[in-house]
Amino acid sequence: MRRTWFITAFVFALVAAACTGGDDGGGDGANGAGGGPVELILWHGFGTVQGEPDAEWQSLLDRVDEFNASHPDIHVTSIRCCTNDKALEKVTVALQGDEAPDITYQYGSSLAQLAAAPGLVDLTEWTQRPEVAWADFIPGATAAAVYEGKVLGVPALIDNLAVVYNVDMFEAAGLEPPSPDWTWDDFRAAAAALTDPATQTFGLAFPADASEDTVWHFDPMLWQAGGAILSEDGTQAAFDSEAGVRALETLRAMAVDDGSMYLDLQNAKITDLFNSGNAGMIITGPWDLSGLTDVTYGVQVLPGFDGDHQTIAGPDMWCVFDHGDVRREAALEFLTWYTAAEQIRTDTLATGHLPVRTSVLEEPGLTDELEASFPGVGVFAENVANVQQARPVTATYPQISVAMGEAIVAALLGEKTSQQALDDAAAEVNDILALPA
Amino acid sequence: MSATAELVRVDPVTLPGETGMVERPRRRWLPFSPWHFVLLPLAVVMLAPLVWMLVASLETLDQTRHFPPILWPGTLRFGNYPNAFRAAHMGRLFWNTFVVTSTVVLSNLVLCSLAGYAFARIRFLGRTAVYYLLLATLMVPLQVVLIPTFLIVKSLGLIDHLGALIVPNLANVFGIFMLTQFFRTLPVELEEAARIDGASRLSILLKIVLPLSAPALATLAVIQFMWTWNDFLWPLVTIINNEGAQTVQLGLAAFQGAHQTDTSLLMAANVMSLLPMLVLFLLAQRYFVRGIATQGLKG
Amino acid sequence: MERVRRALTSDHAVGWAFVAPSVLLVVVFGLYPIVSGLMLSFQKASLLSPVREFAGLENYRAILGDDRLKQAAINTVYYTILFVPISIVGSLAIAVALNRGIAFIRAYRLAVFIPVVTSTIATGIMFLWLLDSHYGLANFVLGKAGLGPFGFFEDPRQAMPSLVGMTVWGWLGFDTIIYLAALQGIPQELTEASAVDGASQWGTFRSVTWPMLGPATLLLVVWSTLSALQLFDEVFFVTKGGPLGRTSVVVFYVYRLAFEQGLAIPLAGFAAAIAYILFLVILMLTLIQFWLGNRVVHYSS
Repeated sequence: MRRTWFITAFVFALVAAACTGGDDGGGDGANGAGGGPVELILWHGFGTVQGEPDAEWQSLLDRVDEFNASHPDIHVTSIRCCTNDKALEKVTVALQGDEAPDITYQYGSSLAQLAAAPGLVDLTEWTQRPEVAWADFIPGATAAAVYEGKVLGVPALIDNLAVVYNVDMFEAAGLEPPSPDWTWDDFRAAAAALTDPATQTFGLAFPADASEDTVWHFDPMLWQAGGAILSEDGTQAAFDSEAGVRALETLRAMAVDDGSMYLDLQNAKITDLFNSGNAGMIITGPWDLSGLTDVTYGVQVLPGFDGDHQTIAGPDMWCVFDHGDVRREAALEFLTWYTAAEQIRTDTLATGHLPVRTSVLEEPGLTDELEASFPGVGVFAENVANVQQARPVTATYPQISVAMGEAIVAALLGEKTSQQALDDAAAEVNDILALPA
Repeated sequence: MSATAELVRVDPVTLPGETGMVERPRRRWLPFSPWHFVLLPLAVVMLAPLVWMLVASLETLDQTRHFPPILWPGTLRFGNYPNAFRAAHMGRLFWNTFVVTSTVVLSNLVLCSLAGYAFARIRFLGRTAVYYLLLATLMVPLQVVLIPTFLIVKSLGLIDHLGALIVPNLANVFGIFMLTQFFRTLPVELEEAARIDGASRLSILLKIVLPLSAPALATLAVIQFMWTWNDFLWPLVTIINNEGAQTVQLGLAAFQGAHQTDTSLLMAANVMSLLPMLVLFLLAQRYFVRGIATQGLKG
Repeated sequence: MERVRRALTSDHAVGWAFVAPSVLLVVVFGLYPIVSGLMLSFQKASLLSPVREFAGLENYRAILGDDRLKQAAINTVYYTILFVPISIVGSLAIAVALNRGIAFIRAYRLAVFIPVVTSTIATGIMFLWLLDSHYGLANFVLGKAGLGPFGFFEDPRQAMPSLVGMTVWGWLGFDTIIYLAALQGIPQELTEASAVDGASQWGTFRSVTWPMLGPATLLLVVWSTLSALQLFDEVFFVTKGGPLGRTSVVVFYVYRLAFEQGLAIPLAGFAAAIAYILFLVILMLTLIQFWLGNRVVHYSS
């Protein structure tokens, strides 16, 4: 009798040890083996500014439900933690209390700051798995996911800048609608033709609050002219080159010489002005389209220098935090599924998001279908092919942005010449880059 | 009394020690006093921003962007008001601000009365030291202690909750100071008589002192209401992630910053946000004026 | 038992019971932050993380080398130099004008007082709209008089004066109330005696009225200077420190450092150090003003 008892207890202990082995640190999450699905927490910031559901949020919920149903061993709970603006802050706070989620939606620009966070998963190895098809993601998006040689995020959303114009105003001014190969000279001429001081109507409304919004309107022009923001090795500013001056000069001439640019120094009136017919063109992304209810608008790719029409994207990322092997692997499995071509296609058609995978983007008929459901988005989708470069992903980028933003606005206000403004900013940036990390 | 002056009752609500009357130049009912040429333009300039905002709130977006500015829209678009109310979630903003403000005002009335009475009438160990210590904190502006106070509130777990707006403001030293000064001016005989009869300090405060202090309490309430209602920096810093806990000022600032807000809705929301303070001011003018004047005369 | 009861109802116990809640609140939210803020200024810290690294005087040394802080300090002084005299002289003039018993005087006073209750945000919204360089009423009216058009908040040189104009509008009523109360406190006989002696209206003002306004003026100078040095709401909301940093003031810069940039980089300690220097400046200025004032002002008994 006693021997049987002893053996049973011993076997039970072995089985218990086998079940709990390998789980290092995953607090609340169940460990899967022998008891229920792996619980994952996903944080996102979709929804309106006031916290109400919208198409993006709904699409995410649908996708998550679909995953949970088809993957009974993993259960993902999605939580709207905050607005996307605050996602970085929220996660930073949560990390201290050990309450970080498994998967979080972040702006691409937050990557450099998140890199220092404990527990952020290095996805480089994962990107090499064949089922992930990493090379299929849009190059501009994957470039923005890499920090110091490591892949730290998965492209979640991609957008880009193009020109949205008022169809009726173009007609009234006797202008042909912009063509895909239009130049910055054409753009400048159109803006001048659309401007009417008597009614305070402007050809272009431009964000001039010296924030990153200002800078990222300038970047594609810089790149089109052959320039770069930083040198190859990232130790020197490179935007004060001839290319930079050419780009900034175009903007400055419109603002100061032609008077065709409305400088929005509070960066709150651009869509307002477009909607009321006081601005003929704005340079913006697909997110603004739903608000342009009062005018008939058209979309065209950015004008180009010398035939180069590249644009800029602001990719958002999914990042993963480590809560033990089991949860991490489950999170990766979720992301592999969620970012597979089929799911991306479904999400794109449900929300008007631009596809983050080239295969989906180039699918015949997709952009037409998009255009039909979301007028104007079709051009943005085609424009994704023009996303070739990304802004530097470094911890110092916010300070670089401030210097560049102020330079651009100084030129636009006529306070400095383009060369002087860029030179001053470059000097400041070089000082910043020279500081030890 | 002189030939050009008269004694005029200006203040129907008097504090002890005041007669409520001042000497004034005799009213001249000449319709054309030259001072009107100064005062009328002044009044126009002071009221112009408010009036212009009101006009814009009744226009359409296109009309607000019209140049030259439209001085009077043909049709008045009252629909802007319910639209703005909904778009800016003003119901929630008003509720939050109302909860915070009324709690803070009530708490101040209670706590400042208790403390003020003690400082004014009760001799207790350390009274002078504590009083001056409290006054010393008035010298330190909020901005200086903004960061450490934020950290304290954060450690109490109040960030993103209305509690962050309420708890630090439950007892305002200015209110303690004001009531202490006021209680000192009350005739002490009534209280002493009650003490001899064996009444407790608390019942003296409640039954004798407070009823005599209605004007001072009203002044404190009104000034505290204004400060709390209009506060912006502290809510900005403590309500960072929770739209559900925003106050009127915070919500209004956010509404202005949202890219797709049209000016006419913004102006309508602004008018609505000003209404409670304007109404309170019109009803309780004399308390506002007294509250501000007391600050001046304390010297 | 009797001793305990007497102790509990003694004046000391009751007094402390009455002040205890207030004292507790003030100690926690008023006094403790002063001390902990000072400690914070000697550390490298970020608001979102409990990590604290002792940094000695590094933050204070960094203050000397910070160009943006220098600009913020200059801007703050510029604002103060414009705001204080304009609001004091303006409110005195208005109070004199309002201190008479003509028809509609109550309405005029109301018009002057009302802006005091408007919040900084509401005022900012109104003035952004009024002073809009393209669509605002101000440029339209000034244009009719042959002036302008002005850039107001959008012109680097005009932004600060525009802020001064806006804040003066909001505060004039406050100062006027104080001056009006002071004016009404001047006994009639004194001004009349001066007139009888043959002094002009201006002479009466200079020799009788003005000295009696001493205490009120001193208070307003101190109060206005204090609030000018602590300007924040309007800068944050209306100009965000721009254009090109020309309206960035010290408190705004501190906010930016601690609550915006200091989330990823530990700048909260540096910001606290700046706030402390500001506090010392304010304290010194206030003491100087009171000292000077008491030598000049004559208090009536």
